[in-house]
Amino acid sequence: MTTLTRAPDFSLPSVAGGPVRLAELSDGAPVLLLFVSEECPTCLLTLHRLAPLVPELSAAGVRVAAVFEDPLEVAARVTRRTGFAGVVLSEPAPYEVSRAYELDSLPTAVLVDRSGQQTGRVVGWDADGLRTLLSVPVTDEPPPRKPGCAAKNTYDPDELRLIDGAGYDELEEMFERGWTDGLPVIPPTPDRVEAMLGARDPSELLGEIPPAIARVTLERVAACAVLAGCRPEYFPVVVAAVEAALEPAFNVGGQAVTTQPAGQVVIVNGPVRDAIGLNASVGALGPGWRANMTIGRALRLVISLTGGGFPGRLDRSTLGNPGKVAMCFAEDEEVSPWEPLHVSLGFSGSSSVVTVIGADAPLSISDHRSTGPEELARVLGWAAASTWSPNWWPLGGISLFVICPEHARSFSEWGWSKQRVREEMFSAVVRPAGALRWGETTPLVNAAADDQPVRKWTSPDDIMIVVGGGEAGRYSAVFGPCLGMNTEPISKEVQWNT
Amino acid sequence: MEYVSPFDERRRATEPLAPRPPDLTGARVALLDITKRRGDEFLDRVQELLQARGAQTFRLAKEIFSKPAGPEIVRRIADRGDLAVEGLAD
Repeated sequence: MTTLTRAPDFSLPSVAGGPVRLAELSDGAPVLLLFVSEECPTCLLTLHRLAPLVPELSAAGVRVAAVFEDPLEVAARVTRRTGFAGVVLSEPAPYEVSRAYELDSLPTAVLVDRSGQQTGRVVGWDADGLRTLLSVPVTDEPPPRKPGCAAKNTYDPDELRLIDGAGYDELEEMFERGWTDGLPVIPPTPDRVEAMLGARDPSELLGEIPPAIARVTLERVAACAVLAGCRPEYFPVVVAAVEAALEPAFNVGGQAVTTQPAGQVVIVNGPVRDAIGLNASVGALGPGWRANMTIGRALRLVISLTGGGFPGRLDRSTLGNPGKVAMCFAEDEEVSPWEPLHVSLGFSGSSSVVTVIGADAPLSISDHRSTGPEELARVLGWAAASTWSPNWWPLGGISLFVICPEHARSFSEWGWSKQRVREEMFSAVVRPAGALRWGETTPLVNAAADDQPVRKWTSPDDIMIVVGGGEAGRYSAVFGPCLGMNTEPISKEVQWNT
Repeated sequence: MEYVSPFDERRRATEPLAPRPPDLTGARVALLDITKRRGDEFLDRVQELLQARGAQTFRLAKEIFSKPAGPEIVRRIADRGDLAVEGLAD
């Protein structure tokens, strides 16, 4: 098994970045080169079994490197799966390094001493052979020996063409990497990310995002936008939404990790809505429109991937919420009888503005029967009475109402302003404290006399109204607040060119 | 294939755990209430147990549980305390 010949030098790309030469790898220390391929079951067995011994070998001064006859991303995936913590290199076709090492089959372990001589090699899985070669406690689990597969340098050119790229699926690769919310994503290739960024500086820093305390650069936001399926023209809206979410008053970190079902609602106002095809009309809350789905999803991917708030890991949301996949819609300013949200918030009507709100899932409110504005306002308000928890009065947070066009038109015909609707809803939803004093209730209710009236909201200002939805159907909706996060709605103007 | 990562790939240094004190006699223990409901009851009992073992305790409270402790609270714990106990969740 011993062949005392000089180990051929090489320079191969590394998973950690950049090329690595044998001389750099060694730097005067012994090196174990493990030639492997993903397609060979014996190689996977060998990686699994040697991975736990890498720390011991490293402690003994041996540099351990796996040389894959596979692309880098395959090498990265396999070593991630096997827990192999050594240096990981990838050898492209036509496998000149493998040829220089005169490989016949994989796996082949080659030990190179301090002076650069090959002092021994083990071919296939051979527990005794590896124990002798490496002087470490190689497992004696069966099988003690297992032959491997032909090394790719032994293939003829026709065979190489056959296997080139075979078996690689970039969509599956995204799942392997965990770059997903559970749905298929668009792989963020450099070309796609560059197209998303346009002329923007990829290194521009928008801030840091908890819980990972990760630096949110425009390049990472663009990677998330590509993953989400955004078109480049959506990107200014995504950036504005991320900027809004990073404002400390939004408390994105609290929302990202809480056991609550907190989602992030993105509302878009202004001319950018039409320019990028954002839906404000039929089915506005989804699904069906690419801009709506992918802009909301891009923000969620920034939170869950870049920010580390991944469901089941640091995101501990008990039930989750479909709004945590994507929740973005436009206000139907043209159908609304009232001033649009961004104007109410102090922006000019011609500006394009993104507003993000931390909220629970939407609750649909059917009303096809009310015959007057007070009655309809009471129906809408009372629908929200049980949000958060039935006896938690007042809420102490913002309720977002999406009023459908038919309801909005009725209010308008009855001559009611948006403010009047909010005031009526605020006034109507009231109960005596004694009736609320069971289950989860507020300190205010507990301290009040039985007959003291308590309202669902602290002020009409806690009721936010936008108009959207299809022209037919008297279904509005309310998003309950995300309590306990001290979160405030945040609005940002979209920086884009008309 | 090469992809652009959505992650911040900087490697973080791992801070070693501070050495554990051999006993609690005379130790100054910060008790941090994150303001989750009934956290104060939990810390009341921890305080009793610590004081019975000779520790000195002092209490601090976060503004709200869902946001990180402010730098002033962290500084006060570091300046005045040898140990800290935080009551998490409800």
